[in-house]
Amino acid sequence: MWPPLSPQMTPEDVAAFYREHHSAMLGVVVICNILGTVLVPIFATIAVQMMRIVNSSKVFAVTYIAAIAMGATAFIIADYCWGVALFRPDRNPQLISLLNDLGWIFFIAPVGPLIAMNLCLAGAIYLDARPDPVFPRWVAHFNVVTAVLSVPAAFAITTKTGPLAWDGSLSFTLRLTTLAVYVGVMFIVLLGVISRQGDEAVEMPA
Amino acid sequence: MSEPTAAIEPIASVQPKKIRWLKNKKLDQYLVFWVVPVFFQVFGLVFVPLTWMMPPMSPDKPLADIVTFMQTSPLELALSLYILVSGLGAVVTVGAYWLVLARMAVSPAIKYAFLAGQVIGSVVGALLPVSLFGLAGFRSGYDPETLAMFYDFAYLAYNGSLGCFCLPWLALSLAIILDKNRILPKWLGYYTAWQYVTELFAASVWLTTAQPFGWNGYLAFYFNMLLYVPWQIIIFFQIYKALKNQPEDELDNVRLERSLPSYQAVPAYS
Repeated sequence: MWPPLSPQMTPEDVAAFYREHHSAMLGVVVICNILGTVLVPIFATIAVQMMRIVNSSKVFAVTYIAAIAMGATAFIIADYCWGVALFRPDRNPQLISLLNDLGWIFFIAPVGPLIAMNLCLAGAIYLDARPDPVFPRWVAHFNVVTAVLSVPAAFAITTKTGPLAWDGSLSFTLRLTTLAVYVGVMFIVLLGVISRQGDEAVEMPA
Repeated sequence: MSEPTAAIEPIASVQPKKIRWLKNKKLDQYLVFWVVPVFFQVFGLVFVPLTWMMPPMSPDKPLADIVTFMQTSPLELALSLYILVSGLGAVVTVGAYWLVLARMAVSPAIKYAFLAGQVIGSVVGALLPVSLFGLAGFRSGYDPETLAMFYDFAYLAYNGSLGCFCLPWLALSLAIILDKNRILPKWLGYYTAWQYVTELFAASVWLTTAQPFGWNGYLAFYFNMLLYVPWQIIIFFQIYKALKNQPEDELDNVRLERSLPSYQAVPAYS
């Protein structure tokens, strides 16, 4: 899986690659199947903290929850595509290649839910009416930047070469680096947010 | 009643219009609501003039035509556009309805059932078919029979996603009818129940390719559209009306503001 298979490989090359790396790839697919939703708890924690933000309603937090489910499902579908391709590696190379394409498309392209999550969180933070906001304001800016950096990956299905291709610098490297940095930063942010919880000067009226 | 004099004119009215808009207490809800028209513009643009996926093509299209259709390059760009805004789908399919659902006096079970159904529906009824069309156009040289299979798969997932929409329409319909707060009018609840029925009419797309029951059938598609399109427009207008009429003392941010020690009641005429 790393470095990513080039979208320019012929179906025969793809099928040969799957046969050659069968056991290792199968291991990754099974682990991803089990751990595919491992990031959900951190996003769920963000959602719970979003529920404490005071806007006029909780609509951003609820939408955020819906988007988490959509994004996680897309990743699982990608994993199944690779898994089905590996299940019978002697299948017609065209079919292996199709499943490989679909897996990569589902892995790289569906950035929409993630962008929606970023923007909902940013919106909620910008409009937080608390005198002592739940999230620091820079987290909102950080989420907007993350959303913008995720945009190019949506266009991975338009090309097989260059930075937009699924193995390209924008769709692959930038997108996955952005996600990794995002999760790392949000983890630290959440530690701070949770440790401050309960010390608020103002309690929400019932 | 006499007009307030200039000296005690409310501060809000002398602020520039732009800032007043930003200071709206319901801004979060309005932002979510206004995603609806934006999303449907892109949705309509992608599925109608850019890809001609809609109105649906015939399930009995000749193989050569299917290949030509699925391998046109603008298709890929248009589908990318959809993938990009697919997250806004969560805002439209969950967030926009939540503006009223949250205020309804019904069991949260109904509300969460709605949420779950809409999420499943967004994935299998929109993201999956779009990705399958994208896949077919991604690479030339695939066997036409295989492309035709994805053509079927995409259209059946798109027009034949039944139960995952039965669930939210039933939940929404029940929520509107049972709601003691009367956030949306009761008749709209009965109309929403018909959206459940449209999913039953659509079941025939899995059984035949022939008119009027196929996925481009007069009954399975066009009759449903006749019921669905006005409903979709009406419910968004009703949601907007409900949002506009929501009393200020229901808003979390206003209630918090009023509970702060620094809060001073503004004179009634402002």
